[in-house]
Amino acid sequence: MRETDLLVVGAGAAGLSAASEAAKHGLAVTVLDDNLLPGGQYFRRLPTGYHHTHETVFDKERQRANALYATTGQKGITYLNDAVVWESPENGVLAFARGADSGRIRAKLTIIASGAHDRPAPFPGWTLPGVVTAGGLQNLLKGQRVIPGRRAIVAGNGPLVLLVGATLARAGAELREVVEAAPILKRLAGSIADLIAMPKIVRQAVDYRLAIMKSGARLRTGWTVIEARGADELEEVVLAPIDATGKVDRSRARAVKADLLVVGFGLMPSIELVRLLDCKLEWKPLRGGWVPVRGADFETSRPGVLAVGDGAGIGGVEMALREGKLAGVIAAERLGKLSRDQAANLKAPIQAEIAKVETFRRGLERLYAMPPAFLDLLTPETIVCRCEDVTAGELRARQDAGFGSTAALKGTTRTTMGRCQGRNCLRTLSALIAQASGQPIEQVTMPRPRLPARLVTIGDLLQEELPPIEMPKDPHLPRGERVS
Amino acid sequence: MTGFRITDGIDRGTAFQFTCDGESVTAYPGESIAAALMAAGKRQTRVTARRQMPRGLYCGMGVCWECIMIVNGKPAVRACMTPAEPGMKVETQHGVGDPA
Ligand SMILES: Cc1cc2nc3c(=O)[nH]c(=O)nc-3n(C[C@H](O)[C@H](O)[C@H](O)COP(=O)(O)OP(=O)(O)OC[C@H]3O[C@@H](n4cnc5c(N)ncnc54)[C@H](O)[C@@H]3O)c2cc1C
Ligand code: FES
Repeated sequence: MRETDLLVVGAGAAGLSAASEAAKHGLAVTVLDDNLLPGGQYFRRLPTGYHHTHETVFDKERQRANALYATTGQKGITYLNDAVVWESPENGVLAFARGADSGRIRAKLTIIASGAHDRPAPFPGWTLPGVVTAGGLQNLLKGQRVIPGRRAIVAGNGPLVLLVGATLARAGAELREVVEAAPILKRLAGSIADLIAMPKIVRQAVDYRLAIMKSGARLRTGWTVIEARGADELEEVVLAPIDATGKVDRSRARAVKADLLVVGFGLMPSIELVRLLDCKLEWKPLRGGWVPVRGADFETSRPGVLAVGDGAGIGGVEMALREGKLAGVIAAERLGKLSRDQAANLKAPIQAEIAKVETFRRGLERLYAMPPAFLDLLTPETIVCRCEDVTAGELRARQDAGFGSTAALKGTTRTTMGRCQGRNCLRTLSALIAQASGQPIEQVTMPRPRLPARLVTIGDLLQEELPPIEMPKDPHLPRGERVS
Repeated sequence: MTGFRITDGIDRGTAFQFTCDGESVTAYPGESIAAALMAAGKRQTRVTARRQMPRGLYCGMGVCWECIMIVNGKPAVRACMTPAEPGMKVETQHGVGDPA
């Protein structure tokens, strides 16, 4: 079995910052990531054969990005791309699928920097080709420089809405409407004192807004998408005003022709690994929902396992970079490469920066906080589980028939059991159960974590060289009871 | 044509062709199958098993599995995560992608 001092899962902003810092202080670090290229989501990289001929508005982060990519070749770091971490067969060991190189790795310390994904926000028509997530749109821009449509609408709740609007405007799409559900203009005065803790981001947001206005698109706040229409692809989007409690005013709904709808209703931490490791979770709606409980020094409830970045609670890229760096110092200290004093000196300035980002986040959360209101949008035909084609009507009928729990609804409809492993439906399923039972959503039981944490092929796993399994002599005996 | 490539500031290298449902599609080295298809105006990647609904790229990061296609005969390949290659044979996936 391979061994390493520090194992980092995720080569995004958080994971690479952690790895770089830890290696700098002399740790042997292994980084596993399931993408072909390093960078994670925010620093998604163009194909290596593409060349920049000159700087454009989309290259503002190139310096930071290149510095981050370079850490994969840094002394002391082993970076394995295209490696899906799927299981933890024993304490301190993680198993990964990587074609012929699949295997297991034992680490003295593990940092989970697994990032996030878009929160599903179902509404009629959200499954049509041409409806994409805000994260997905940004990835296509950064990783491919491709825009997946032309006449575009952006709708959602959160800072990515303005960003995506600006992206589309600058890319030359025919941007029609940008609609943000929260009444952010009205709330700005109450948030600005905290927001200016990160003045650069505030300036960026102003630029995004200007780019949207300049494109001729309408920017509406307190509006949302309520329906997407089209035969085989998106053709039309219906928008309507929404009040601060989430109630939609259908009498003022407007249909707008479009072939691209980008939806961004916030992000959810990718918690499959911390769940697999049996780490305690807590419900923090403003940080994306379920997040691992972390003690001082980012340690989860499982000793030796730290969690940082968006995977530990949505904090954005500036938080991810700094949490990662701090975790690198923490790891070096814990494994004896830094004295307590040395570590304390390194930690202090990073902690001061994190405090600033925290202040900014508080402002941001006040600005954008909205009750999730999508349940009112669901018609009986609206798909809830995209993989298994299960509709809201089917689920509600089962609920009415007495199948009230997560397990019962899962068992009778296959919701959460498809390829996405519940990422696109579990939150909706829990919300439906909470609505019917009157419980708060965080009291709805989650399904048990199942292997694999992310999908892998049996073919990959067969490549792994393992010691022969010890079988009981009598195959009818239960496992573990061996006859000698 | 709906989708498009941003060309300003980027030299993509030498274009090549692959096929999707028998039609020729242009791509560049390292470009994902999904990106090349969308730049060619094709956004439907699969048709679902149970309700025969059209689907296409959704999450763009490999976790939703909505963009799966049949690539060189192999079903359930994520078009958003897989680089196109010259001469590759890509097909819309119907259901689980059993041969017709
Ligand atoms: C699709 C998407 C696009 C985004 N685009 C932007 C943007 O343009 N601007 C912005 O301000 N914010 C954006 N965000 C927010 C973004 O999440 C953060 O700003 C930043 O990327 C967080 O860094 P991170 O290191 O915590 O996570 P990430 O950058 O997400 O990195 C986590 C990495 O871990 C890998 N990983 C997770 N689980 C496993 C596993 N089991 N096995 C192997 N590897 C694994 C992931 O594939 C990923 O590469 C985006 C978010 C998403 C989901
Ligand atoms: S679009 Fe979600 S996996 Fe490809």
